[in-house]
Amino acid sequence: MLTLLILLPFISALGIFLPVSKKFILKLFIAVSFCHGLIVALFWMQRPPVEFNGFLVLDPLGLILLSIVSFLFLSVSVFMIGYFKHEPRSNRLLTVCLLCLLSTMTLVAVSYHFGLLWVSIEATTLFSAPLISYHRNQQSLQATWRYLLVCSVGIALGLMGTFFLAIAAHDVHTLLLPAILKGSSSLSLNWMKLSIIFFIVGYGCKMGLAPTHSWKPDAYGQATGMVGVIMAGALTQCSFLALLRIAQVCNKAGLTEFYSSILIVSGMLSLLVPALFILGEKSIKRAFAYSSIENMGLLVLGLGLGAVGLFGALFHMINNALAKSVMFLTAGSIAQKYGSSRADEVKGIIHIYPLTGILLVAAFLAGTGMFPFATFHSELLILNAAITSRHYCLAAGGVVCLGVMFIGVAKIVLGVVHGKPREPLLAKKENTSMNAAILLAVVLLVGLGLWMPIGLEKMINNAVKLIGAV
Amino acid sequence: MTSWVDVICITVVFLSLIILSNYRVAAMIRIFAIQSFVLGLLPFFLHAFCISNRDVILGVVTMVLKAVLVPSILFWAIRHVSMRSEVKPIIGLSASIILGAMIIAGAFWVSLSLKLPGKPASDLILPCSLSTVLLGFMIMVTRTRAVTQVLGYLIMENGIFLFAVSLFDVMPVLIEMGILLDIFVAVFIMAIVVNHINEEFEKNPASVTFSKMGETF
Repeated sequence: MLTLLILLPFISALGIFLPVSKKFILKLFIAVSFCHGLIVALFWMQRPPVEFNGFLVLDPLGLILLSIVSFLFLSVSVFMIGYFKHEPRSNRLLTVCLLCLLSTMTLVAVSYHFGLLWVSIEATTLFSAPLISYHRNQQSLQATWRYLLVCSVGIALGLMGTFFLAIAAHDVHTLLLPAILKGSSSLSLNWMKLSIIFFIVGYGCKMGLAPTHSWKPDAYGQATGMVGVIMAGALTQCSFLALLRIAQVCNKAGLTEFYSSILIVSGMLSLLVPALFILGEKSIKRAFAYSSIENMGLLVLGLGLGAVGLFGALFHMINNALAKSVMFLTAGSIAQKYGSSRADEVKGIIHIYPLTGILLVAAFLAGTGMFPFATFHSELLILNAAITSRHYCLAAGGVVCLGVMFIGVAKIVLGVVHGKPREPLLAKKENTSMNAAILLAVVLLVGLGLWMPIGLEKMINNAVKLIGAV
Repeated sequence: MTSWVDVICITVVFLSLIILSNYRVAAMIRIFAIQSFVLGLLPFFLHAFCISNRDVILGVVTMVLKAVLVPSILFWAIRHVSMRSEVKPIIGLSASIILGAMIIAGAFWVSLSLKLPGKPASDLILPCSLSTVLLGFMIMVTRTRAVTQVLGYLIMENGIFLFAVSLFDVMPVLIEMGILLDIFVAVFIMAIVVNHINEEFEKNPASVTFSKMGETF
């Protein structure tokens, strides 16, 4: 079943290389996304069996990530119906890359071998690079180059970390997760520490944690909204899964303190850096990219703090994906209407496109973690963990950074929403399917903010138990 | 057989140092091809005379991918570029050689305190792979052309590969192949992006962004 789920998008991507029409490609993408979503929904009822000698396993952590990925592709596919109605360019390369990305991200979620995990995460980098340069102009090429180079080097460091882990687990003779967990008492602690550092730097690079975030604003600023959703919501969280997996090993090997201290520092840095840069920002998409860095910082901080923070981080994974889907899809819809997402070229959007304007405000509130959106709760849980573990300065600093982010994003978004209306160059009507995709995510986000389903809570608790934080 | 492994390790570091001290892009690519070929020989010498199937597979695939296919892709990428030599490296040649020597010394010093468990094929594997990785980093940072940056990345990967073969039995051969394939595709995509950048540069050489990017690309 898992193999099928991985192969289905890949095979249909190969099918697109045949001379088929633009409409057919779109229909195929929607069909594949729906099938993928359906199968993943079935997995919530019953987990699939282990495949390939324990290389492919779906555990609660993987299931949470897989559901996020699947949902984002569903909402992008609905959005795409409207987007390509007004788009003269071909959608072939875009769809092929997206489908391959779906396939490799599914592999990330289910791989239980650290080598396989690396291979699949590197593959996601490769398939996402052509997506950034979809517009094929100088800036987007520059952004693609930066993304490729920074992430490739980062991932190469992750590979070194994987090899160091292999040395640490010399007595276990394999990199399968359950075997390493079982033989955790025989791990060499010095090599393990080295491996942890390389893991965090390497996969943190791909997540866009603070010192290595430089590719993020450029890449998200140049990519179309749909690609932004997949990258900010799914791709970065795939790398977070790698950090969660190594956390499992650390907690078993008794290195929790070492691991969490690094994570807390890098998490705080990722909260601080975007807060410093957001105030000078002019473009909506770039501002949302900074918000993405901040959210990655929150995830890592939650993981580092453990206990309630870990629950909050896993809950925030889901909320962040939904919020990013609202943010980047709205930004994409504006960028298509105006041909730009820069604040000085888009003004008074609420007077011309009332619904898009309201959605943009919702996106801003969801992204910065306001009540009643679920992001509010998960951020509160992470801050709560900081206070209960007596990191008072951390909690205070975090609140200040979040506040600055709120002001910075508010400045840009409210300037775009209100103000003297400027007629768009390419005047187009509101599109139902585009708005429906965004609205679905908004409704889910508010729903999760007001009421937590028991099944979801149980699943997150199982995942927390799996990581085994103290 | 250990002596051959030692020779290979030293050769790899030496070749990376030569690349570091070179201006001409074509020559750098050729030296990289030689380095990859030498690395491809390593699996054959690793397990003294008992060469298993996986040694053969890994050695041959490495040679074909890294010594033949990757260099030809890089040559394809620079074919259209008018400037065939490096423009203004950030650090001059002699200075980079001295820095490179210091990096190698540092890598040997650091690896003194790191002890590989079990019995490694050679004591030189760890320091040599560390210095190759660091030299690759240095090439990436100090060179300004896109192709040379890709070369730096590849040299770094070669260093990691040198390290990887020493703990061979941990990774299933399929995953080793996956790693090699990923790196190959990465270079392929990078070459395509370099090509697109060149096209854009020729279409619109006087643009404002490219006056800045001329340094980088």
